[in-house]
Amino acid sequence: RHPLATFFHLFFRVSAIITYLFCDWFSNSFVACFVTILLLLSFDFWSVKNVTGRLLVGLRWWNQIDEDGKSHWVFEAKRVSTIAASTEAEARIFWLGLIICPVIWTVFFFSTLFSLKLKWLALVIAGISLQTANLYGYIHCKLGGQKSISRITSRFFVTGDVPK
Amino acid sequence: FAGLADVSISEDIPVEGEITVPVGSHSPDEDYSTLDEPVRDTIMRDLKAVGKKFVHVMYPKKSSALLRDWDLWGPLVLCVSLALMLQGGSADSKEDGGPQFAEVFVIIWFGAVVITLNSKLLGGTISFFQSLCVLGYCVLPLTVAMLVCRLVLLAGSGTVSFIVRLIVVIAMFGWSTLASTAFLADSQPPNRKALVVYPIFLFYFVISWMILTFTPQ
Repeated sequence: RHPLATFFHLFFRVSAIITYLFCDWFSNSFVACFVTILLLLSFDFWSVKNVTGRLLVGLRWWNQIDEDGKSHWVFEAKRVSTIAASTEAEARIFWLGLIICPVIWTVFFFSTLFSLKLKWLALVIAGISLQTANLYGYIHCKLGGQKSISRITSRFFVTGDVPK
Repeated sequence: FAGLADVSISEDIPVEGEITVPVGSHSPDEDYSTLDEPVRDTIMRDLKAVGKKFVHVMYPKKSSALLRDWDLWGPLVLCVSLALMLQGGSADSKEDGGPQFAEVFVIIWFGAVVITLNSKLLGGTISFFQSLCVLGYCVLPLTVAMLVCRLVLLAGSGTVSFIVRLIVVIAMFGWSTLASTAFLADSQPPNRKALVVYPIFLFYFVISWMILTFTPQ
């Protein structure tokens, strides 16, 4: 139902990885590659956090500051009654993309560290933190959503049993 | 207990009233509706927030808008543009007169993280990302100074241009430090303010130094 969102969910992440692997073919300049990959990672972070999460799996997370300055993280899950087959495929693509890419960036981290190409290290660390942040946020949403659903259904059953 | 015998509640008296749930500025209902908003709304909302913050930095009033809804897009854009301008033309040649691109990046982000940790350890009430947001956005005057310096250097690189650049950089450095202190020092207890302001001063000083000593090849 959301082919465009699915495409963009994968597009930015995969482009960032491909650009990192093949940057020598595209351009000689380290700066151009660095900026391009950084922009791709940032767009990916923003689009996964704000758009594809809520369109593909109905989850959302953000940070909120109260009037007294305390910050808390809010994790929100849409309660879906029926799960159609197309949304299941989309959800599977969403989670696979979300999990595989941070793993790939972690592999890049070790390869950069051991091959001593340290000027790429900042970029790889940025990539890992952005993608892991999204992964962590969405896993928290998913687990929180399941907890709140079970809490709500148990409360429903309890009030139904109270005698008049 | 004779008086209590008359106490009875008739079953057909309707009980009515109003129950109001006090909602804060970000009530759950208000935010559930953003789960379904069109993508264009999300983009425009975030872009407007970034733009508003840039305006706030240029005119630092004591307002909490910069602190309340933090975002790191502005700092990212500023950091990238500053690092690009400090690059000086051919990126991979060994003779360029500015620091390497990644070094500028690391200095800005690592410096901001260290200042934030420092202010949190001193007992500040501001959150980690809010502080990063403020420090990043207040790099804007220094980015403007870098732009001006590059234009001045196009005209020439003698003593006059150096004096002009010095004045511009000092002015913008003062602006950055004052803007960020206006936002950050309030969250500290009064006897710790100097301890918080000093690293911020040092941070912007290092960036100003990089800008002032930049010579293109």
